[in-house]
Amino acid sequence: MLVELTALIRREYLRWIRAPMWIVAGLMTPILYLLLFGQAFNLGALVGNVPGGPVVLSRALWGAPDYFSYFAVGMVGLVAVTSALFAGTGVIFDKQLGIMQRTIATPVRRSTIFASILIFRGFLVVLPIFIVLGLALTFAHIPGLVGLTVTQPVGADGVAEVVLAIFILAIAFTSLFLAFGFLFARVESYFGVVNLLNLPILFTSNALYPVGTEPAWLQNITAYNPISLAVDVMRETFFGTTYYPHPVLVYLLGLLAWAAALVAVALLLAARALATK
Amino acid sequence: MLRSPTGEATLTDAIQVEDLEKTYPPAVRAVQGVSFAVHPGEIFGFLGPNGAGKTTTVSMLTTLLRPTKGRAAVAGLDVAEQPAEVRREIGLVFQDSTADGELTGRENMILAGGLFGMRPSECRGRIDELLGRMDLTEAADRRVKGYSGGMKRRLELAVAMVHTPKILFLDEPTIGLDPQGRAGFWRYIKELRQEQQVTIFMTTHYLDEVENLCDRIAIIDHGRIIASGTNDSLKERVGGDLVELRVPADGADLTETLGSVPGVREVSREANIYRVKCPRAEGLVSALVKACDLAGVTVEGVTVQRPSIDRVFLELTGKAYREEGYDDGRAAQASVFHTRGRGGR
Repeated sequence: MLVELTALIRREYLRWIRAPMWIVAGLMTPILYLLLFGQAFNLGALVGNVPGGPVVLSRALWGAPDYFSYFAVGMVGLVAVTSALFAGTGVIFDKQLGIMQRTIATPVRRSTIFASILIFRGFLVVLPIFIVLGLALTFAHIPGLVGLTVTQPVGADGVAEVVLAIFILAIAFTSLFLAFGFLFARVESYFGVVNLLNLPILFTSNALYPVGTEPAWLQNITAYNPISLAVDVMRETFFGTTYYPHPVLVYLLGLLAWAAALVAVALLLAARALATK
Repeated sequence: MLRSPTGEATLTDAIQVEDLEKTYPPAVRAVQGVSFAVHPGEIFGFLGPNGAGKTTTVSMLTTLLRPTKGRAAVAGLDVAEQPAEVRREIGLVFQDSTADGELTGRENMILAGGLFGMRPSECRGRIDELLGRMDLTEAADRRVKGYSGGMKRRLELAVAMVHTPKILFLDEPTIGLDPQGRAGFWRYIKELRQEQQVTIFMTTHYLDEVENLCDRIAIIDHGRIIASGTNDSLKERVGGDLVELRVPADGADLTETLGSVPGVREVSREANIYRVKCPRAEGLVSALVKACDLAGVTVEGVTVQRPSIDRVFLELTGKAYREEGYDDGRAAQASVFHTRGRGGR
């Protein structure tokens, strides 16, 4: 089974490495966000000099020392969605080109086919996330740039929680978009639905802006958004527990539930797409 | 597994099909109860016009489609009950190229080996051998998207053979190739069969393909097999040669005169052309012309047609064989502009 899995992942990898423009464009978007949007949008400067301003700001930003630090963690969610939304396209092309048909006609197990796609597409989601996070942390040490400032010591368990949150989030979104890849026969239908989903997912999360000012109904939705859950794990680890109603583990478990559900849906649709008619 | 009437498993045939049926919902009966057997080591041609049910049949034999009714055993394994085992024993060449264009020929073959559980190191020798056999050694490390149509077809053959299958299925393997490319491809298939001892089941809608390549054929039309056997046995059915005599339009009727010439089996007339059926045309042509002369009619032209599969088709169905929209099968051979439409379903 491992031989088959390796062979399938190797093919995906070779295709990917041979389209350098695709890679560059994929990585540039989040970096531009960090460099331009993140550096320009300085909430702190607006309220910084008002008496009591820093406290208000700190509460609004859930403990983050400045907007960039708040936003840089949120970028993990944004990057997860924007990189994962291409996950299903490969499946559609393989179906159209008959490559899927050829694969199905071999003794390879259907679960192995699914696993190879999930692993490789998941890797394509995780990779830019770590680059963005690493860059944001580096910015904090470069004079003249605002960076992601961690306000409390993060131990090995903290790092593990952050890494785990990133991986689970990547699996959740990759599965979501893979499900549509297995469902649809045409790229047009795929992107129609994906574009429709993309923004609501982002805007009902705490990734980009402070959620304290949102109406209550929206706050309720936001709290359960998978991006919010992953971001809460990271913010609580980086900026302290003061403003967070739950320990990190609760958010992680919520995220895990999302991932399990989405993997199950993707598996179901994959089984249907790969079945003998 | 199929059972013989005595209840014993019959493993002698590479493929055994009994009363196989496929109905697409709601009621499209693509294949309506076909039965045939393919012997080990032969090239079996499944001939029929587009939409006759060829691809549907292949898809069932290769476990990609579930039969609605009937049974099929491939390499002695039931396609419905042991699909995974069947897949181990078969190689597939589809109508359209399924190699990954972004990968090189060799990488595609390594992938194919991997899908059958072979590590790259395990199949390296086999891959080199097949690449050489298909004259692709030089192109092996170039990306497939730059291959010519013929090279892509040969790579498909090589890819399908990596795991040393017992039975090779070719679905319209030469569609889209020019006549020269097709003739070249036949040579590769023949060599492959000889060297690898593989049984080959192929669908085609080209008449010359079955005449040049196949040991035995089955003709399918509208989801039913209308004839099967060797090329020669099928040709015997149409009653030997056909002599066509063209005479001036204003001449007297010669049907009786020609019919009385010894050796003539049947005479028919269409305007100023007489069609004379006979077991052998040799020696008869001059007698026919002489008979016309004696009746005072000068023959303007004579053609002799050997028995051919398209005549078999004509005799059995009462209509000319349709080859990609051409009424005359022979005309299509000259055309290289085949649409890449998926036949079958």
